[in-house]
Amino acid sequence: MKHVLTITVLVFGTLLSGDVLRKDACYACHLAVDEDRDEDARIMTHIDEDIHLQVGLSCADCHGGDPTAFDDPDAAMWDNDTFIGAVPREDQPDVCGKCHTDPNFMRQYTASVRTDEIQQYWTSQHGKLLKEGNSKVAVCTSCHGVHGIFPKDDPRSPVYPTHVPETCNSCHGNADYMAEFNIPTDQFEKYQTSVHGKALLEENDIGAPACNDCHGNHGALPPDVVTIADICGTCHVNNRKLFISSHLNYDMLEMGAKQCIECHGNHGIQHPTDDLLKVGTQKFVCQSCHEQHGDKAAILATQMDSVIDSLSVRYERAQKKIEHAEQLGMEVSDLYADLDDSRRALIQTRTSIHSFNFATVQKTAEPGFKATANALEGAQGALAEYNQRRVNLFIMIMAASFLVIMLIFKIKNMQKKS
Amino acid sequence: MKIIDWIDERISLEAARKFAKKKEVPVFYGTVWYYLGGVALFLFIIQIFTGIMLTFYYQPGINTAYESVKFIVSKVSFGWLVREMHSWSANLFILFIFLHMFTVFFAKAYRKPREMTWLSGMLLLFVALGFGFSGYLLPWNELSYFATRVGTEIAGALPFVGDFILKFLRAGDEVSGATLTRFYGFHVAVLPLVAILILGVHLMLVQFQGMSVPPELEQKPEKRRGSIPFFPNFVLRDVTVWLVVFNIIALLALFFPWELGNKADPLAPAPAGIRPEWYFMFMFQTLKQIPAHFLFMEGELFGVLIFMIGGAIWMLVPFLDKHAGDPNFSDKKWNRVGIFAVAFIIVMTVWGYLV
Repeated sequence: MKHVLTITVLVFGTLLSGDVLRKDACYACHLAVDEDRDEDARIMTHIDEDIHLQVGLSCADCHGGDPTAFDDPDAAMWDNDTFIGAVPREDQPDVCGKCHTDPNFMRQYTASVRTDEIQQYWTSQHGKLLKEGNSKVAVCTSCHGVHGIFPKDDPRSPVYPTHVPETCNSCHGNADYMAEFNIPTDQFEKYQTSVHGKALLEENDIGAPACNDCHGNHGALPPDVVTIADICGTCHVNNRKLFISSHLNYDMLEMGAKQCIECHGNHGIQHPTDDLLKVGTQKFVCQSCHEQHGDKAAILATQMDSVIDSLSVRYERAQKKIEHAEQLGMEVSDLYADLDDSRRALIQTRTSIHSFNFATVQKTAEPGFKATANALEGAQGALAEYNQRRVNLFIMIMAASFLVIMLIFKIKNMQKKS
Repeated sequence: MKIIDWIDERISLEAARKFAKKKEVPVFYGTVWYYLGGVALFLFIIQIFTGIMLTFYYQPGINTAYESVKFIVSKVSFGWLVREMHSWSANLFILFIFLHMFTVFFAKAYRKPREMTWLSGMLLLFVALGFGFSGYLLPWNELSYFATRVGTEIAGALPFVGDFILKFLRAGDEVSGATLTRFYGFHVAVLPLVAILILGVHLMLVQFQGMSVPPELEQKPEKRRGSIPFFPNFVLRDVTVWLVVFNIIALLALFFPWELGNKADPLAPAPAGIRPEWYFMFMFQTLKQIPAHFLFMEGELFGVLIFMIGGAIWMLVPFLDKHAGDPNFSDKKWNRVGIFAVAFIIVMTVWGYLV
């Protein structure tokens, strides 16, 4: 009999576990209260989808109180010592940190979960100001939401990569809200027009950097590492490698210049073009620090530009010829392999300018020139073969046509005779 | 001593000479249609020669078929020309068979005593379509792979035997390397053998029975009908037309080359614009228009059955058209059937390419 009872409890317990929230006094009452509110003022809209409730936590785990006191709001909340109600902004890091700083507790949900968020938060500008008593700064719920918190890799989450810029912008783009902090509020505006912003927001390329990729997330600060190249270099590995071994790395550090940012900008960073090296034009990027003419930088820029320009022109010429040969029906797939090599070398050459060394640029471009020459030679060969085919075919058609004419004469003759 | 005399001494050529001299080809307003069958024969001969040359380099197999065709068109001397001529003459071969068939149909040349010639011609059409279907897969490119998948699926829609036919054609459940090898075997061994046998019968019948003339002309005494000797007069005309067709193929080969496309990838999604060869387009387009369920059966099955019944009626027309040889009988029923068939094929084919 004892076993039967145990099994019954287990079976029913399992069946009812999905319905556990319905047995929660906080949930039941607040859901009813919410229904009387305007849609915008409701706090329980996404509660069922909240990751915390999904893994079995209840309202009381964050807010305290007694979830079993169904018909007695006072006992459930005000008379209960553990009840803290709406968590004050300044207390949020501690309340969330109760679980999120405990590896043993967090490990039960996922093996690789991090538990340093709160520690990092207190080192961030947000955390520092919160400690100083400024409660306008971002706290946990500012970014992650409140009742309806989704995991960061859920596209509905405000911290999903494509939503991060807008989430940060909800405070940082509000000039009135940010007035006392005395920092710009046009970052998002600029970011939207940037190469990174377009990739992330328009093309949904979640590999493209959002705010947190450069500034950090929980430990958000203006980039404060030794060189900016270390920030950009986490993605642009080759550029960083070349730049930190160049003389410009130390020169710029000494000058207090901001390295990558000086030439490329930051939030509004645009896709770099070869025009940045065109001496004598508005776009010539070195002129912001160097004198334009006669300066070593201008000479180097001209030299590097001439290599890139030369390779680029040859690449385009080869590409056009190959495409033309292909349109004429020639088999050119091998030439596309050469063209790919050439394109790769062109990209590498453009990257190599971060060495600020002409010899390095020349050496990098060398395989590109060779591949382009092969592609061009092959394309010209294909076009020459096509012309030869036309000539051969013309001769063949003429011969066949001559035969046709002779046959027609013969037939006419035979007709006359008969 | 001339070579011809040398041969004549050993095997008397007199019989052949007599036959050739005796054979006459009628001359009247419809003589021009006599060339169509000859052009189809010429194209078949080109197919055999270029096909043999392609087998010197072509290697069936999922890792070699595409590569070997690429090698043929890019590295083998005149390989491109051989492949282009093979592809173009294959398409023109089927076009001329269709034209030949319809002219024979409208001239009612299938009537007694040429019922067997019509039947053998129809069988040749089916063999030619088999050549086209099997040859299309051989380059193992994207379009041919997916078109074969769709084509074999349609054959698989048949009741009772569909599953067997599908597995027999594919040499398994899916279009794979085994299908390619099987199609190659059909294309270079089975079908040529069958085609040559049927073609032999077809040509023999034409020689025995002579060219058909319209019923009203047939009633005139033979001497009052215009005619020319088959050899050399008609043969020279035939050769002249063949040379013109040869020139057209050469021009098409140069200015409208057949693309090799991308190599087939069975795991990749089907690319857009999958379509069969043009001569299957009218059937493909019709099947696409039939709803998924029609009457008490699947739409595809219904379409296939309709085509089978239509094909059978078309094939048996010499036995169904009882008054074909009577010039005084004004029943135009079969003419209307023919016009409907031509219009249907043209409209569905054009529609298939427009959408």
